[in-house]
Amino acid sequence: MPEPLLRAEGIVKVYADGTVALKGVDFEVRPGEIQGLLGENGAGKTTLTKIMSGLLHPTAGRIFIGGEPVRLRSPRDALERGIGMVHQHFALVDTFTSLENIALGTGLPLGPSLRHSVTELMERTGLKVPLDTPVENLAVGERQRVEILKVLSRKVKVLILDEPTSVLTPVETDELFGFLRRLKEERVGIVFITHKLREVMEITDRITVLRRGEVVGEVETRKTSAEELARMMVGEEIRIRGRRPVELRTELGEEARREAARARGKPVLVVEGLRVKGDGGDEAVKGVSFEIYPGEIFGIAGVEGNGQTELVEAICGLRGGTGSVLLKGREVLGLSPLELYRLGLAHIPEDRWKYGLILSFTVAENSILGRQRSPDFLGSLSILRWGRVFSHARELIRRFSIQAPGLEAPAKSLSGGNQQKLIVGRELSKEPEVVVAAQPTRGLDIGAAEYIRDILLEMRDGGKAILLVSADLDEVLALSDRVAFMYEGTFTAVTTPSEVDREKAGLYMGGVKA
Amino acid sequence: MRRLYASLRSVAESLLAAVVGFVVAGIILKAWGYSPISAYISLFKASFTDLYGFSGALANATPLILTALTFAMATRAGLFNIGAEGQMYLGALAAVAASLFKLPAGLHLIVALVFAALAGVLWALIPAVLRATRGVSEVISTIMFNWISRYLAFWLVANVLVDPYRAEKTITVLPTSRFPTLIRGTDLSYALFLALAAAAVIYFLLWHTVTGYEMRAAGENPFAARYGGVKSGKVIILVFLLGGITAGLAGATQSLGRPPTYAVYSGLPQILNLGFDGIGVAMIGRNHPLGIIFAAIFYGGLQSGARVMQLFAKIPLEMVRVVQGVIVLALALPELLRIFRLFRRRKLLEAKREGE
Repeated sequence: MPEPLLRAEGIVKVYADGTVALKGVDFEVRPGEIQGLLGENGAGKTTLTKIMSGLLHPTAGRIFIGGEPVRLRSPRDALERGIGMVHQHFALVDTFTSLENIALGTGLPLGPSLRHSVTELMERTGLKVPLDTPVENLAVGERQRVEILKVLSRKVKVLILDEPTSVLTPVETDELFGFLRRLKEERVGIVFITHKLREVMEITDRITVLRRGEVVGEVETRKTSAEELARMMVGEEIRIRGRRPVELRTELGEEARREAARARGKPVLVVEGLRVKGDGGDEAVKGVSFEIYPGEIFGIAGVEGNGQTELVEAICGLRGGTGSVLLKGREVLGLSPLELYRLGLAHIPEDRWKYGLILSFTVAENSILGRQRSPDFLGSLSILRWGRVFSHARELIRRFSIQAPGLEAPAKSLSGGNQQKLIVGRELSKEPEVVVAAQPTRGLDIGAAEYIRDILLEMRDGGKAILLVSADLDEVLALSDRVAFMYEGTFTAVTTPSEVDREKAGLYMGGVKA
Repeated sequence: MRRLYASLRSVAESLLAAVVGFVVAGIILKAWGYSPISAYISLFKASFTDLYGFSGALANATPLILTALTFAMATRAGLFNIGAEGQMYLGALAAVAASLFKLPAGLHLIVALVFAALAGVLWALIPAVLRATRGVSEVISTIMFNWISRYLAFWLVANVLVDPYRAEKTITVLPTSRFPTLIRGTDLSYALFLALAAAAVIYFLLWHTVTGYEMRAAGENPFAARYGGVKSGKVIILVFLLGGITAGLAGATQSLGRPPTYAVYSGLPQILNLGFDGIGVAMIGRNHPLGIIFAAIFYGGLQSGARVMQLFAKIPLEMVRVVQGVIVLALALPELLRIFRLFRRRKLLEAKREGE
């Protein structure tokens, strides 16, 4: 067996906020091999590769290059030692040509010799891009090639690709794979990060599976199967016991409860053939249909970045789309968040800091965001009645046991859990009929997460229709009455949690259709 | 309580910044062989200890409060309105134009002020509409509009409002539309109260109305504001409209309320830069109406004290300007940093995508 090009030993990473991202991970890259790195969101894939490419420093553990222990000070340092990384988000100057970007990214002087060596590199690897076209005129796949050429121009021995196919069309993906195989013959070691089972099976030689910061498996690709990988990726144990849902289910029986919910009436939210564009202009949601009845939680599971964000934003009036979204029988696609709130929709946004709160505003000010024009708080001449706002905020703090230094403390002085409680409380105070909860427990400690889940169940029991979108599979399975799996903008399966075992769930999340 | 604590902290920061500014400026003075002590004594004695000097500071502060409010409101809403300068020119001339006809005293002043406000609004609305509908950067458009306004004002002074007997100035404002003088023998007029009232109104608007709430929300976090149903186009138009009013009035306070001229001279010497100085004042005053009042008085004092420094401490004008610049910069620094952080945060939020 050849000496590994790059070896990481016992890597531990604790972030400043106390999050343990990696708990002693071993990993190695061998020449002429494609090493897959597989895992769910938050498994630690990105952290590990950032450490290997010098972007982050490990809390503990060592990195060896060619058998020598090294300390990587920066990405440039790593690049000089032969380790290059291509990130998911490109670092290109749009108005510069490909060649100019390569010169900029590598620090090599722009001139005939660079052009010559890049041309030669393109010939050898088959990775062709027009060198004199401004990057803004290139397709996404071509831009990615420019990024890869940037790294290869520095004659790297290890090439790390972070979710390289997430932005590519199927044809572009095939081209990339062809090129990676050719690069393998040049004895380059490649790290291929993904959550897509099909791709990891197709292109890699060996696969390391990460889960919650630990290596849970290291297998040779030809000796494993998508099913085995899926099982490893999502784990066997059920982490969230969810006292209440389990109890409730046993009491009433899931099927019976669902029937009861349906009997209660028509669906309050009906989504049909919804298509939504992502930020890049590509289609992020490709025709999704579902309906939610009162008193039911409809869960959407899936690895993040498969269109859930765009789906939620379209339903909640933050993004345009085509198709149909009926709220209580009324077409609401394209309405503003304010109009949707008035029609009975509340939205617990995925990104607390971007959409959910204004961090520099006080707790009281945040407690009415979206309801600032409600007659509850508005006097004549559009004067805000602070007395009422304060008593409203005080009521939220009491009802949702929010720990806050005071009503006039800025929202940023609250912990993540209390910030989320404030948002959840505010949204519930809108007395909605439909609640869209996107990643409602992400980043929260166990206590706060449990609390939020209890509230979601309480709302469901109160007859509200809830759309729960979460990358936490256990959460979706424990809370939902029905669950859909989302992969690349479509549902791979819509079913009930009892009909899904973890292996199946892993397959659905990895793109295998039911 | 916490809000009080936060404001006290801002005041303390500003005081510290002032000390730093004065010390640094003092070192510069010392290095060139002047006595900083006697310079500062002459500065403060002149501007803040005698009635005549202090009323000069207040007279200087009057237009600055108004132009600073233009900038501050926009900044609170996340916009950079650099256009107070140009809006102010037209406000000053529109107020003069009201003297083309006769009206009873009092009413005439009100009509002149309405003219001024409308002129400011007219000039502010074009960049605002461009920004709201086409996304044109308000920074660029307001700067360009300042230049258009400047030459338009030159032309108006020379051709439309020109005094038939004295070609270097406009017609003199009729006594019926002048601000009465507040202290005889000084150039301080009742226009000061207009500026103070405007600051009070805008304070109330920002912190006690839903409109102000939405404006501040849009400034602090445009994404959350959109989520909360705030329409950014509406906020842009409103902020520029109100800013146009205060900037236009700032011009009027000079043509209607600054003895002895009561006219605008060719080349606009009396009003040039009042809009730009307002930006500095807004920064020193932390873009807060109350802070702006104090900052404008301080700034106005520095301006009138400059002449005295030149006269009594024998410091050349250039050096006085250096000292002023250093002090203003030091005082503006805390707010500059806050705004810088705010915008970096917004960039981060913009860049934030799923994944990671």
